[in-house]
Amino acid sequence: MPLKQVRLGFVPLVDCALPVVARTKGFAEEENIDLTLTREMSWAAIRDKLSYGVFDAAHLLAGIPLASRLGLGGVPAQRLVVPMALGRGGNAITVSIRLYQRMLEADPAAMHGPRGLSARALKKVIDEDRAAGRPIMSFATVFPFSSHNYELRYWMASSGIDPDNDVNIGVIAPPRMFDSLRNGWVDGYCVGEPWNQRAVFHGDGAIVALKDDIWSRSPEKVLGVREDWALSNPDTVDALVRALVRSAEWADQPENRTELAQLLSDENHVGASFDILRASLLGRPILKPGGNPIDAPDRHVFYRYTATFPWLSQGAWVGRQMQRWGQVDASVDFNAVISEIYRPDLYRRAVAGLDVALPRDDWRVEGLNDAADRALVGADAFLDNSTFDMRNAAPIAAAGAADRVVASDT
Amino acid sequence: MKQEDFNILVIDENPDRAAIVERGLVEGGYARVSRIGTSFNLVERIQALAPDIIIIDLENPDRDTLEQMFQVSRAIARPIAMFVDQSDHNMIREAVEAGVSAYVVDGLRQDRIRPIVEMAISRFGAFDQLRRERDEAKAKLSERKLIDRAKGLLMQEKGLSEEDAYNLLRKNAMKQNRKIYEIAQSVITAFQLEF
Repeated sequence: MPLKQVRLGFVPLVDCALPVVARTKGFAEEENIDLTLTREMSWAAIRDKLSYGVFDAAHLLAGIPLASRLGLGGVPAQRLVVPMALGRGGNAITVSIRLYQRMLEADPAAMHGPRGLSARALKKVIDEDRAAGRPIMSFATVFPFSSHNYELRYWMASSGIDPDNDVNIGVIAPPRMFDSLRNGWVDGYCVGEPWNQRAVFHGDGAIVALKDDIWSRSPEKVLGVREDWALSNPDTVDALVRALVRSAEWADQPENRTELAQLLSDENHVGASFDILRASLLGRPILKPGGNPIDAPDRHVFYRYTATFPWLSQGAWVGRQMQRWGQVDASVDFNAVISEIYRPDLYRRAVAGLDVALPRDDWRVEGLNDAADRALVGADAFLDNSTFDMRNAAPIAAAGAADRVVASDT
Repeated sequence: MKQEDFNILVIDENPDRAAIVERGLVEGGYARVSRIGTSFNLVERIQALAPDIIIIDLENPDRDTLEQMFQVSRAIARPIAMFVDQSDHNMIREAVEAGVSAYVVDGLRQDRIRPIVEMAISRFGAFDQLRRERDEAKAKLSERKLIDRAKGLLMQEKGLSEEDAYNLLRKNAMKQNRKIYEIAQSVITAFQLEF
């Protein structure tokens, strides 16, 4: 049987692991797929090449298929679908050493408490700056419609910071983040690994919150394909999903993580140093220069806890954040939009017959779990202990900034 | 219709390609063309230049920054949309394949913008062609150097004449169905192993 060619684009980040493993460890070939990988340096480029047929599939930010469907940001609307997620974890908020010192001095208790609440210290620094008449600080995320943008804003807002007025939040492509921090162009950023560990290893930054400190089950990258391609190539979609799910299973085994770090360190893949990648992949990140590694076993989750399942409720949460921050009109019915983009039906069809743990429903109340649920989906808590129920989410009014900031409980 | 009215900005990390695009536009009658490479204060520079049209290489990481700027409406005076005519799927596809992206301020007539984007596409194509030819020429040159070096080693170590050395390489290449420079590389490696 001849191999079916699938051209896939990815951005150099730890979570490009599944396509890289599928290609290099033979999982794609076992499914009769000749998987061609292309490394891209920007999310806009990967989106356009997927949308206009240069790629068949892509490693995408969860927000991109939503933004594309709605034609946001002056970009022609596209019908992309998400047959699976590409794992969880990997993001962090890193600040410059200078800002880190200021946060430590401003609120040592907050900096030594739960990491999710470290923004309280940032709030005090911002208040000091305002009182002294200093200009506001600059932060960066990787794309307007990225989980990084929503996580950074969630973290700030939970401590009473208004991300639209108290700071500048700009966008810098992931491979350029580190230089921007080092050169003092930004005071902090939220990006995926290895770009946080790199700042720590080089002594330029310190991590103040990991992704799972903000929301332990928060979604990350997804596999995106064009809807028309998925419709006309159902067998290839199934085979691709199976190959990537089997790659995820391989990548999640602790004994394979060192080899994975080696694979990703290749210049054609992520191209970061092996030591930095291994620290992160072994769940032993170092948060500040000279610090000891901490235990963060769920730092990168590729397979367990339904990490490849395209949960409707995770897509809906992303849509909710778009509305919260005024990127989308509050009148958009995201539950309807999500059910057209997130396709758990495609995932279920592809893995039927494989021994893959599947949830009963395609959605859940996020931020809430008991022991049985935890065994299936992993720990699930937001830093502010809130919950998100897509079926009962109150509409968000197109409100002023003040209404969008959750009041601090201090 | 006065073409010189448009304020066009070309952003490209590759200064040679940017120059080729700029020259094409100027020769085509567009007088107000500026170009910049990558810069950290991109947003300020674009605000200062206030372009009607931005031509930027598709793979430029600055596009992620630009798109956020266009999305936050307060950052710019006029809304900017990507590409020329969103209904012109083939045109956009051609641009993407050529590695060109274009951002255009709202309200400009599509038929006046189209030639600018077409010019950029054809100039990108011409640049690719030039680069390919240059790479091929470079490769050819290094192939010839390998063959000369292998010939030299065979002459020196095996006492062959130049013609015999070359014929030996060629015969082996034909027998093994490989290129002569590949055989030359093997010969060089083999001699290096002996020492």
